[in-house]
Amino acid sequence: MRVVIAEDDVLLRQGLSLLLESEGFDVVAAVGDGEAFLEEFHNADVGVVDVRMPPSFTNEGLKAAAEARARRPNFPILVLSAYVEDRYAGQLLAAGSVGLGYLLKERVGQVGDFVDALRRVASGGTVMDPEVISQLMTRRRADDPIRSLTPRESEVLALMAAGLDNASIAGRLVVSETAVSKHIGNIFAKLGLSAGDSGHRRVRAVLAYLHS
Amino acid sequence: MIKERFSSWLLTLRYLSIESFTAALSLCFLLVGAMLVPLGLITGLPFATTAVAMLREWADLARKRTTEFSGRRLSTSYPDITAQSYKGRFELLWSRTTRKDALWLLIHGVPLLAIGFFTIALPFAALNSLLIPLYWEPVSHFTEIANPYPVTSWAAAATMPLVAAVYAALAWWLIPVTGRMFSRSQARLLDIGRATLLAERVTALTASKAAALEAHSSELRRIERDLHDGAQNKLVGVVMMLGMTMRSLETGGSNTLEHLRRAQDAATDALSTLRTMVHDIYPPVLDELGLDGALSAVAVRSACPCTLHISQLQRSPAAIEAAAYFVVAEAVTNTNKYGSATRLDVSLEREIVDNVDCLVLTVEDDGVGGAVERPAGGLAGIRRRVETFEGTMTLTSPRGGPTTIKAVLPCGW
Repeated sequence: MRVVIAEDDVLLRQGLSLLLESEGFDVVAAVGDGEAFLEEFHNADVGVVDVRMPPSFTNEGLKAAAEARARRPNFPILVLSAYVEDRYAGQLLAAGSVGLGYLLKERVGQVGDFVDALRRVASGGTVMDPEVISQLMTRRRADDPIRSLTPRESEVLALMAAGLDNASIAGRLVVSETAVSKHIGNIFAKLGLSAGDSGHRRVRAVLAYLHS
Repeated sequence: MIKERFSSWLLTLRYLSIESFTAALSLCFLLVGAMLVPLGLITGLPFATTAVAMLREWADLARKRTTEFSGRRLSTSYPDITAQSYKGRFELLWSRTTRKDALWLLIHGVPLLAIGFFTIALPFAALNSLLIPLYWEPVSHFTEIANPYPVTSWAAAATMPLVAAVYAALAWWLIPVTGRMFSRSQARLLDIGRATLLAERVTALTASKAAALEAHSSELRRIERDLHDGAQNKLVGVVMMLGMTMRSLETGGSNTLEHLRRAQDAATDALSTLRTMVHDIYPPVLDELGLDGALSAVAVRSACPCTLHISQLQRSPAAIEAAAYFVVAEAVTNTNKYGSATRLDVSLEREIVDNVDCLVLTVEDDGVGGAVERPAGGLAGIRRRVETFEGTMTLTSPRGGPTTIKAVLPCGW
């Protein structure tokens, strides 16, 4: 799988390249800013982009990601951020959630999970950092249906947002897969998502989280 | 006693004479202005800025004369003339200061002009009255003399010394009174007034408070950015290397040791970044030695002989002192690193620049020059730090030297 990396910190950029190459990815380009990323992303299957890059060190990465997806719809991008800002997540998801990821930078330390996340994004999945989810949870208004979720249901929803399927969620929470399905059914009910295509409902449940 | 009163009377007469003649000019100014304003309104007020500038000059001259006469200081504060558009020029014409000056011009040019000429004429009238008995007879063939009644006989002429005495008495009494009236009314018309002065001071204080808050928040932003993009990135690097080490242990890879070594390097790097950053936020030495002491320490440490000139240094806000220290320390480090300098001069002084109290820092070396600012270099760091406080940094480094870095840090608040 071909990857293009945009990260302004030289050491991190080299480290990421090294990491991804040792995991069997083909790093076609590793660049230091959004402009260069937009020149290179055509040759790749997925992009890994830092949010803050030169020249203004604010949200160049997000802009570059949005621009890349405008030029090539649903081009998979995993955005890395030094801190969680649910506004960023909202901006990213506003234009569609297919093939999008938003993770804290330090998640690269869990190499296995990080690589899994990157693969899920590359294959069109949505991956949200657990921090994003918990930040959104605490900010909800009291009458928000999300607030009516039990702690266990929130956990399940968070893992759904992280892009896991039922079996993986069951594995993480050390419960049976049927229990997970039951929780997910409750979540759909509480969020008022009618039965239909279950995959679509999963995305909508996650989006219900992120769009405040 | 009498002599003193006479000399003060003479001074007042001089003041009144000057005022009367300038009042005549004021009247001309007024008439020309009255003609030009309606014309200007139609043609887009082309002369508004020039006219207002002239009016201000004219009023300032009157302030100087009145201050010289009465000893009373008249303060004023004109807003800058920067009107570009028609609306701007109109607002300039209708601004509070312009209206105030125009009112003075009107009073100076009309009632004060009349009163002034009447008053200064009195002594001359007295003199003239004394002379009438000598010349009335030949002159009466051509014209009739009235002073203030017709003088057509020797009897009437004989009363003239009496008339002269009345004029003289009037002059003696009226000139000081009129002089006081002139200086008081002009002072009132031309002075900015206590309420306005206080109001302006409040505005200035509010602005400087806002500037202080702004500087504070941009300093916080700078620290936040340094932490996120500096230390935190390095720590992410550590975590990443450790993750790769674990991965290589799991898969039985051969370069585990290499990954571990990289992780340790990254951690060491993160620590030193953090240390530099904390030091840059507020160098502990500033607390111990104050800015001058801390800078002396920098000068002593410099490999290249460094002389320090510090004058009129008062305590500044901690953030400013930290920035000043950073600028000098960074500049000295830079010189030692690149410049082939044999001499370094560092000077630090408090100066008023554009009405703002500033800390002015100059670092000059006799190296080869040709220094350029690179995006992540030391000079750019200095600029960034200085601009946080709305200060300015200028670098002059011609090829062949000398290199001068001048930083101006406002600290009036």
